[in-house]
Amino acid sequence: MSDLTININGEHVTANVEPRLSLADFIRDHQRLTGTHLGCEHGVCGACTVLMNGEPVRSCITFAVVADGTEITTIEGFDDDEPMAQLRQAFHENHALQCGYCTPGMLVAARDIVTRLPDADEDRVRLELAGNLCRCTGYVGIVKAILSVLEQRCS
Amino acid sequence: MPDGTSEFGIGAKVLRKEDARFLNGHGRYVADIARPKMLEAAIVRSPVAHANNLKVTAPEDSKGRFFTADDLSADCVAPIHVVSKFPGHKGSDYPHLANGKLRFVGEAVAVCLAETRAAAEDMVAATGLTFDALPPAIDMIADAEPGAPKVHDDWEDNVILDSRFEENTDAFKESAVSVTRDFRMNRQAVNPLEGGAVLAEWDAREERLVVHSASQIPHILRNALCECLGLSQNQVHVIAPDVGGGFGYKCVLLPEEIYIPWVAMQVKRPVRWIQDRREHLVTAANAREHHYSVTLHADSDGNFIGIEADIHVDSGAYAVYPHSNILESTMAGRTLHGPYKMSAYKVRSRAVATNKPPIVPYRGVARPGICFAMELAVDALARELGREPCDLREQNLVPVEAMPYTTITGGEFDSGDYPEALRRARGLIDLPAIRARQEAGEDDGRQIGIGFGCYIEMTALQTSAAARAGLAAIPGYEQAQVRLMPDGGLEIGVGVQNHGQGMETTLAQVACEKFGLEIEDVAVRHGDTATSPYSTGTYASRSMVMAGGAISRTCDVLGERIRKIGAHLLQCDLSQTEISSAAVTGPSGSVPFAEISRVWYRNPEELPDSVDPGGVEAVSGFRPEPDNSPFSYATHAAVVAVDPDLGSVEILDYVISEDCGTIVNPMIVDGQIIGGALQGVGTALFEESNYDAEGQPLSSTFADYAMPGSTHLPVLRLDHLVTPSPLTEFGVKGLGEGGAIPPPAAIANAVNDALREYGVEVAETPITPRRVLTAIWKAKQSRLSSVETS
Ligand code: FES
Ligand code: FES
Repeated sequence: MSDLTININGEHVTANVEPRLSLADFIRDHQRLTGTHLGCEHGVCGACTVLMNGEPVRSCITFAVVADGTEITTIEGFDDDEPMAQLRQAFHENHALQCGYCTPGMLVAARDIVTRLPDADEDRVRLELAGNLCRCTGYVGIVKAILSVLEQRCS
Repeated sequence: MPDGTSEFGIGAKVLRKEDARFLNGHGRYVADIARPKMLEAAIVRSPVAHANNLKVTAPEDSKGRFFTADDLSADCVAPIHVVSKFPGHKGSDYPHLANGKLRFVGEAVAVCLAETRAAAEDMVAATGLTFDALPPAIDMIADAEPGAPKVHDDWEDNVILDSRFEENTDAFKESAVSVTRDFRMNRQAVNPLEGGAVLAEWDAREERLVVHSASQIPHILRNALCECLGLSQNQVHVIAPDVGGGFGYKCVLLPEEIYIPWVAMQVKRPVRWIQDRREHLVTAANAREHHYSVTLHADSDGNFIGIEADIHVDSGAYAVYPHSNILESTMAGRTLHGPYKMSAYKVRSRAVATNKPPIVPYRGVARPGICFAMELAVDALARELGREPCDLREQNLVPVEAMPYTTITGGEFDSGDYPEALRRARGLIDLPAIRARQEAGEDDGRQIGIGFGCYIEMTALQTSAAARAGLAAIPGYEQAQVRLMPDGGLEIGVGVQNHGQGMETTLAQVACEKFGLEIEDVAVRHGDTATSPYSTGTYASRSMVMAGGAISRTCDVLGERIRKIGAHLLQCDLSQTEISSAAVTGPSGSVPFAEISRVWYRNPEELPDSVDPGGVEAVSGFRPEPDNSPFSYATHAAVVAVDPDLGSVEILDYVISEDCGTIVNPMIVDGQIIGGALQGVGTALFEESNYDAEGQPLSSTFADYAMPGSTHLPVLRLDHLVTPSPLTEFGVKGLGEGGAIPPPAAIANAVNDALREYGVEVAETPITPRRVLTAIWKAKQSRLSSVETS
């Protein structure tokens, strides 16, 4: 067992966990923050994307112990975040979600795009999204939503 | 007919009511639900495709935490058994846990329970299995013949059902031109992003089994639980909470939906099983896998005479409940004609059992395969005749003046202008411009091609068709429960299940259309057997047609009761009242719903003695009249660039011209079509569940099973024709599946058009670079050898 100190969504959390425990399972099962989803558990679909020290990571292939001493932000932790508020509204208006399962990971990835790449065009947005699978929407609404937020943030 | 004036009614682009919870991480899927003292399950699965004399050795110290088929049979748990009324159909049990014989890699053998999934998986690793391996049946064509390894020992051969559809075969003699081709649509996996998931517990207070499952069919699951576990209907409560996509995979019963609840009853603790992606890809969610040998006949002017075909469908080892293992083969056999008129038909279709997972009905069911075979044959015929494929289609599509049209096999097309959809798609994609561009050639050495795919989709499976097949779930009148709430809002209960289709919004729009309510005043409840009327669930593009129809009809019943109270309050005759803007209006003024509710619920002393004691809550139902299905249709057109050196295919343009009847919510209709189309692109170019000769699955992760992603269909233009169906409320037709049907056909035809100078025809999905290069290489070889021999 290993000791662990993480700041999750602004809350200081200490725990004693098995070394093999994934960050995703720690977030979902131990912290009961179930907004972070698991679509593949092998690092391809992006549903489990969270921010670690501000950078997107796949929590399914990150051990919880690796996150020791870091700041983790999950979909539940963006209440006062401007880009996330813009993205949520844009996702809603552009029908960027159907079943909603990919949505939390998609939003975290999208927030990374709009904050890191203010000049991204559609091709770039599509390329950046290639690490997140959505089985429902065909991505059109998602891409439109992200482009609309990029535009908003420019002006 | 809706006039489009209601702000939230039929035709309005209403933003989705259900979005907020998903955007904020508050969706609640089965895996998000935890119960006190819950145990997690992991499943021991078969490592081989075919074996007998299975013996299982439990891990040490696993008493009361480890269960096998012996435990199920000791408790008299009945296996899944799907029957069919089709003569000659071979039935078999689908054991929940393998019992002596193993029939596919991944078949469930034993359940391990522990406090965490990881600990349960440790138990799986510590379980011992011995068996005598048998040669597997893997190839549906070879293994349909006598002498092949038998999947079910008591069957004569592996042919589950051999169906023949023959009409007017003499007419084939009149054909002047015939093309014969073999086509294959390979096995793939459904892959909703959430896989299967079950959480079960015995509720001692309610004295009933409570099962949360990621299901499209909660009431049918309840039936199955009662049948298998010997429980009465009021002892089972099934809840499908938020469900992360289904696409058909979740409209069949999973063995886990029976044995996990049973195990939970044994250990008297909640038990949860969450399917991981490997389990999904390997054990449970396989679909498609059709092979067609097709001959299309025409006269010298290109008028289709008819089609002959020999079809094989690899149905896998077992029949899934309730839709059986012959849904695909019979649909393929009966409707291979697609949207075309023809006068002769001779099709044999066999469903074949193999040592692979059972196939499940995936978006479009047999139609992506049917459309692929028919549309590629049409293009082959066009090349033979030296005709523009698009023109040949236009000439042979059922024309608008023939509607309603009875097909060669007895189907009934209700309405629509099929050639117009084709013409509009041709116009939008600008066929002449593409032909000109092909003439000019590409600077980068790639070859450009254009392809079309036309389809029809029978939506909302009708009662008589399901009854003819003897399915375990036969849809009758779909029902809705509509209740005026004490504050004048509306709560609607439906038995269909919403898992991405936006039905919490679109079904509410039906009530808004009828009563002029605001969208936020209507709540739609679904997916819970305790709170909704019985339904066969969501599948076959039926929910908007059926549940929408039911809500409309129920609003009529409820509306009259509301008007009666309103007439009393307005002191006028019932016939003088009408409902609009959520109020009853009469000659002297109007009474809002909130006031009607106040009187009914809070001040009943104000009601007259003659009031209807049924109150302000009603249940009624709908089904199409006559009992036929509305047919949706579309033409898809694709422009691709093929790199003859790399074999890669890029989609340059894609157009869809479709008709789903009256559109309830244009935003959601577009979303369904686009999402379906990308799944079709996956079928066309990427997705394949591969098996080796021993029946070992080779596509067990998203690394070796390629899913379509954000870069694969960058351009997509939609166009809508609207021909209201005469059969349904508001004229709506089903829509959910259609987008996924023709992309493999349109894209393959485009690839073949691009490579026509090479003499290449691809005839198999997915069209991977390897398959393209192999086809080019083979065409070269045969040219070389014909040069040598001449
Ligand atoms: S669940 Fe982590 S990438 Fe798929
Ligand atoms: S909305 Fe269902 S997976 Fe993206």
